[in-house]
Amino acid sequence: MPVVEHAVVITNTIGLHARPAALLVQEAARFQARIQVRSGEKTANARSLVGVLKLGAGLGTTLVFQAEGDDAAEAVQALIALVERKFDEE
Amino acid sequence: MTVSLVVVSHSAKLAEGVSELAGQMAHGKVAIAAAGGTAEGELGTSVERILEALRQVASPDGTLILLDLGSAVMAAEMAVEQFTQLQDQRVTISPAPLVEGAIVAAVESSIGNTLEEVADAANNAMLLPKLQS
Repeated sequence: MPVVEHAVVITNTIGLHARPAALLVQEAARFQARIQVRSGEKTANARSLVGVLKLGAGLGTTLVFQAEGDDAAEAVQALIALVERKFDEE
Repeated sequence: MTVSLVVVSHSAKLAEGVSELAGQMAHGKVAIAAAGGTAEGELGTSVERILEALRQVASPDGTLILLDLGSAVMAAEMAVEQFTQLQDQRVTISPAPLVEGAIVAAVESSIGNTLEEVADAANNAMLLPKLQS
């Protein structure tokens, strides 16, 4: 299974609060790949809203997405794009 | 279909507000019904209102009920009992905190998770820190 990892810096002002976190989980769920998101020492399953919220990732935090599965590359690309376009909120 | 949600509160306004908030997070992918207040429109809970909400959002994937306070449990249990006598569908009553639980449940349901997964995730909502330390 291909494993893809990529980092992105959060640039939306409120960071991974409820709405952006929900969008991230919903985007991650579009793919078959198993996706983990890491922020510093903490790691969460990208399909778990509680897990993603517990990362407590704010503005300027680096998120590392790691996906494993046939569509891992597409999954990581889509999640990076979501973070880069500030979750369509700003 | 996805797991549906019923929001039970002693206040109709509270139930509607929580449903609105959770609904926005689910982008319309999850059926959510509010069951707040008594049949007379006063503060309290109503078995009939909860039963009506259960019927309104009945889903083959099951329904999760979220409550504002423990004193709503008895009415919810009575409504579930009546509902499941007539319909072969699963209903789980969640011990999760209402607002966090409803939002987490709505998002987890919106991505197609099962009733067990949605209920587990809602339970874990109580672990969410309100203040980042």
